[in-house]
Amino acid sequence: MTSERNPQVYADATQSKGDEAVIECIAVDKFFGDFQALYDINMKVGQQEVVVVIGPSGSGKSTLIRCINRLEKHDRGSITVGGVELTDDIRNVQEIRRETGMVFQSFNLFPHLTVIDNITLAPRQVRRAAKDEAESEAMKLLERVGIPEQARKYPGQLSGGQQQRVAIARSLAMKPKVMLFDEPTSALDPEMIKEVLDVMVELAKGGMTMIVVTHEMGFARAVADRVVFMSDGRIVEVGTPEHFFTDPQEDRTKLFLSQIL
Amino acid sequence: MTASAPVLARPNAAQWARKNLFNNWWSGLVTVIALPLLVYLGYRVFLFVFVNAQWEAVTRNLTLFMQGTFPRDQQWRLIAQVLIFALAFGVGAGTNSASTRDAAQDAGLKYTKSTIVGTFRRMWSLALFIAILLYFATLDPAGAWYNPFLLIGAVAAVAVLGYQSKRLPRRVRNLGWVLTGILLVFGFQVVSGFDAGGWVPVGLILGVATYMSIPEGRFNNRWVALGVRLAGAIVVALVVRLIYGVVDTTGVGWDVWSGLHLTLMVSALAIVLAFPLGLLLALARRSTLPALRWIATGYIELIRGVPLIALLFMGQYVLGFLLPEGTDFSSITRAIVAMSLFTSAYVAEIVRGGLQSLPKGQTEAGQALGMAPPTIMRRIVLPQALRAVIPAMVGQFISLFKDSSLLTIIGILEFLGVREIVHAQADFRGVAIAETLVFVAFGYWAFAFAMSRESQRLERRLRVSR
Repeated sequence: MTSERNPQVYADATQSKGDEAVIECIAVDKFFGDFQALYDINMKVGQQEVVVVIGPSGSGKSTLIRCINRLEKHDRGSITVGGVELTDDIRNVQEIRRETGMVFQSFNLFPHLTVIDNITLAPRQVRRAAKDEAESEAMKLLERVGIPEQARKYPGQLSGGQQQRVAIARSLAMKPKVMLFDEPTSALDPEMIKEVLDVMVELAKGGMTMIVVTHEMGFARAVADRVVFMSDGRIVEVGTPEHFFTDPQEDRTKLFLSQIL
Repeated sequence: MTASAPVLARPNAAQWARKNLFNNWWSGLVTVIALPLLVYLGYRVFLFVFVNAQWEAVTRNLTLFMQGTFPRDQQWRLIAQVLIFALAFGVGAGTNSASTRDAAQDAGLKYTKSTIVGTFRRMWSLALFIAILLYFATLDPAGAWYNPFLLIGAVAAVAVLGYQSKRLPRRVRNLGWVLTGILLVFGFQVVSGFDAGGWVPVGLILGVATYMSIPEGRFNNRWVALGVRLAGAIVVALVVRLIYGVVDTTGVGWDVWSGLHLTLMVSALAIVLAFPLGLLLALARRSTLPALRWIATGYIELIRGVPLIALLFMGQYVLGFLLPEGTDFSSITRAIVAMSLFTSAYVAEIVRGGLQSLPKGQTEAGQALGMAPPTIMRRIVLPQALRAVIPAMVGQFISLFKDSSLLTIIGILEFLGVREIVHAQADFRGVAIAETLVFVAFGYWAFAFAMSRESQRLERRLRVSR
């Protein structure tokens, strides 16, 4: 398949909030064997900007944000995070990962560690923080996500919503410049979705730069600076929430929105 | 015998029997056929154990079974070893119990105190073995090794004393573990002697303990902290070396150990050596470096394809060709090496299974936090993978323990091999063969079963924290 660039989409995707782009993807292609998962992805995310990525399953949303912190390796093009370009150099990759927090659909908390140890593990191992400092920092983060009383429990003792909030706190403990959310509420029971979204909204209000892959349109409307719609590995349409939800331009977008709304 | 007893003991025996033994026609048929057979078998066992068996072959040779040909004038070393190990187990159990309690209370989990009854449920096979030893010792005091009642009393007292480590304040809890480690080494060295490289294990334990106990956070510079911690560790290790140099007593080398004592020591040493080696092999086999991977895979496949007995023989006869001229090891050292190499290949495969069972998300979460691959392995992957393979690992170690009986074939006098000496005695030539076999088999079973029970407990306890 040849990919013809839609100039309007290109312009919308690369027009980030503010002057400086924190994340910049240029002509990124990604293959899984013979299957091409991403086609010519061009995107800029600015300082303190919240970008929500939506699209049908298998459209490459998760692959895209997993490329940004090198959980997947892109095959062509370039990705720059905080001014550092991703290369094969492991030190470079770790540097970028330290600046980039990630929250997974399945939480991926460490089940053999208590909540507080989950949070302090990376600061202590990577940033060489002292134990007391790391723990008092972790307690502040737990208060921020609303569950300081669970600090000494194990992940298995918590509800899904609480686990995901711990996962957010764990990422924040590394003081990242960017947060990546990979469908953070998809594995949650409906009554627990709100408590996680509330934390994310607070985070966005606090000025965190975020890329959020989600199916929560309410969240996209309320918080997003831009909404990116992906389908079949391509960015199909980009726009502000008002524009995107009320006046979509592309047929694929209209079809998708009609199916989910 | 054993099957029918509880049936009769229950007040609602008839109902129980109807429900479990005669609930339909074929179940009833099986019961009608099997029950008399079991009763008859029980009767024959009873007849053998309590009427016909000539246990003199065992009772008169208890010392031989326990310690083989260990020099009798050095027996105090064995007594000291038993007592030091008892103390070590007491301290270890107390420390373990206290840290489990603290962790459970922190997490708001229910903490069930370990009780004497609970310990007995796990260790009843060992208790039974010891009870039988005591009984035999009273039958034939001349054959007994030391005064068994005095010894047991002292062991219990020392273990209870060690268990008081439970009262150590939380701040210095790790002291209990350090003490346990040192006591285990001392217990070994009180027999083998405090000479030659004896300072190494103790120096290592105390050095690492010193390193860990100097808080890194106290220093502003990471490298200064590392320097100070390393310097502390080295100074402590050197002091240990100095002390060992002054003490310098020779003991009884393991080439003259034998009997049950040798079986237990060899198994324990082989387990201690096989575990880290197997772990390294498993990691090497999953390495991204092809050379490392090929070496590990080749080693594992080669060792797993050779019977243990062949390896033991090769240790005796082939090892000499591979080592430089002039190096000479006792046959027990060779046997321990062969058993460790053999078991490490199996341990490697078990650990590899555990590593593969871990969800990919665990590694990804570590990566996403910017952690380096070795840190992810040490802090996230291994703790979980090793917990997952406890049952298989303990199974392998039980197997190793029982396989130590093969040492008798290469002329090493271990627990099973003592029988040959016994039956070379004028009184027991060609008689009481079954009695000594049953006794030895029971001894192996008592230890293996206790290990199995302990591993089940470990599994249950670690699952609680998930």
